Amino acid sequence: MQTAFMKAISLIMTADASLIDILITTAKTSITSSLIALIIGVPLGILLGAGAFKGRGILVMLNRTLMGMPPVVCGLLFYMLFSGVGPFRHLRLLFTVEVMILAQTVLITPIVAGNMESFVSGISELIKETAKGLGLGRIKTFYLIMNESVYQIFSAYLLAFARAIAEVGAVSMVGGAIAWKTNVMTTAIMQYTNMGDFALGIALGIILMAISLLVNIVLYVLQRRLSR
Amino acid sequence: MKKFMTLLLALVMSVGMFTACSKPAEEKVEETTTVTEEAAVDLTILKEADDKMLNTYTVIAVDPEAPFTDADGNAVSDVAVNTAGADALIQWLLLEDTAALIAAYGEEEYGNTLFYNLEGAPVYAGEIAPATEETKTIRLSTTTSVKDSGLLGAILPVFEEAYGYTVEVQSAGTGKAIAAAKYGNADLILVHSKSQEEAFVEEGFGRVLEGFDAERLSFIYNYFVLCGPSSDPAGVKDAATVLDAFAAIAEGKYIFISRGDGSGTHTKEISLWSADLGITAEPESFASYTEWYTSANAGMGACLVMAEEMEGYILTDKATFLTFVANNGIM
Repeated sequence: MQTAFMKAISLIMTADASLIDILITTAKTSITSSLIALIIGVPLGILLGAGAFKGRGILVMLNRTLMGMPPVVCGLLFYMLFSGVGPFRHLRLLFTVEVMILAQTVLITPIVAGNMESFVSGISELIKETAKGLGLGRIKTFYLIMNESVYQIFSAYLLAFARAIAEVGAVSMVGGAIAWKTNVMTTAIMQYTNMGDFALGIALGIILMAISLLVNIVLYVLQRRLSR
Repeated sequence: MKKFMTLLLALVMSVGMFTACSKPAEEKVEETTTVTEEAAVDLTILKEADDKMLNTYTVIAVDPEAPFTDADGNAVSDVAVNTAGADALIQWLLLEDTAALIAAYGEEEYGNTLFYNLEGAPVYAGEIAPATEETKTIRLSTTTSVKDSGLLGAILPVFEEAYGYTVEVQSAGTGKAIAAAKYGNADLILVHSKSQEEAFVEEGFGRVLEGFDAERLSFIYNYFVLCGPSSDPAGVKDAATVLDAFAAIAEGKYIFISRGDGSGTHTKEISLWSADLGITAEPESFASYTEWYTSANAGMGACLVMAEEMEGYILTDKATFLTFVANNGIM
């Protein structure tokens, strides 16, 4: 473990070019996919949690099932779709960061939606009653719920980001872990493990956890301030 | 603000705790390093440089006119394959200068040649077309050993700088590497499993380059090595041939770690067991040997760790083994 720590520190200190490239790709992929998932997942979750329409129960159940989708299955699905023989071959997207983001978004959006749904369904009755009393329309009620869920939205985002940054099954399938292009932290760790270079694998793991900690600190402070 | 201060305090405390905890832990690690180091080098090469263990690497260009089919078996005709890029890379790999580059690889880092030039291999001496906007990205699907040993990382930049191409390397076991090409996701493959390569060509996926007479262009080789615990309970070291060595392992039911993943190494290993054992890639074929035959379904490095932990025997390419030893010694 000592060697791993030393390696992690020296990698950061020397600003290793391939490490920096991997970090940038990781950040680009996980931040973009978790943000898109947030933008789609939050309204969807509020709709599922507070909406009163037919088939809501089925949609909730469907969403919860998708929450458990194995990343490698998601990756395989996108691999087949964007393969040289797949239906979307003309887009030439396989082994690009874009398709990695796409696969991760599909993977993460249900998690954000499900997380929001379970929170909103707990508070929606009260808020809807208040809104009714104030004579607010649907859209204003929606904003009111959103306003009440700021803390939860941050939690949902952190969950999405954590899943995105830690995920390896989907990104390795559709990204191919190509050096200087689609290699992210988790796929790089896998590679070093397979090469038997465990120390470097752990070193990358330490860096990954450190980044996660930083993101969490920033978001925690923001969450506290905004939801006061 | 108060909350922020609390957070900061918590952070400082956790960092403090971390350093306080890690100090004695570090000392402990130092004490045990000597032990683990001994254990790390316990796995040793017991059998090598046997003709049966020859590991030949072959490069094949993918034919854009190949009978590609989608996942449902429907024919797909317009698969994009960068033939000009594949031509350039293959031609470069077969240059005399490149052969020298490959032969020298490993001397410096491991004090050991990892790949040898195949005698009688096809040689290219003509011009190589530089990259154009359309042909500059080359998708190379290859086996883990050439990538994980660092060979491609050492030689490809020379090619990329000289001709302006970018080689995107995807590495997986030979079985998966070939599958990627069949799905239209590679312009050329560099693999090491003769039977699977021949099947690939027979199905019509290979392309003959101008000036060459076959789809399969074998150009480098090294040796598989049979590794095991230094105590060598099966007496593999004294076996006359590698086939005898494998027979001795099976006879004594000594732990053997198989890749089990359809890779070139796996294919080679299957061919080395005596025929009456009937071991194939099918799980049913070794169902009655599970007490000693361990099908790991993992990469070479992970399998080597398993062999080390279980004190088992294992077939590995020499390059990955040397990398493994070099790195694990310091864990």
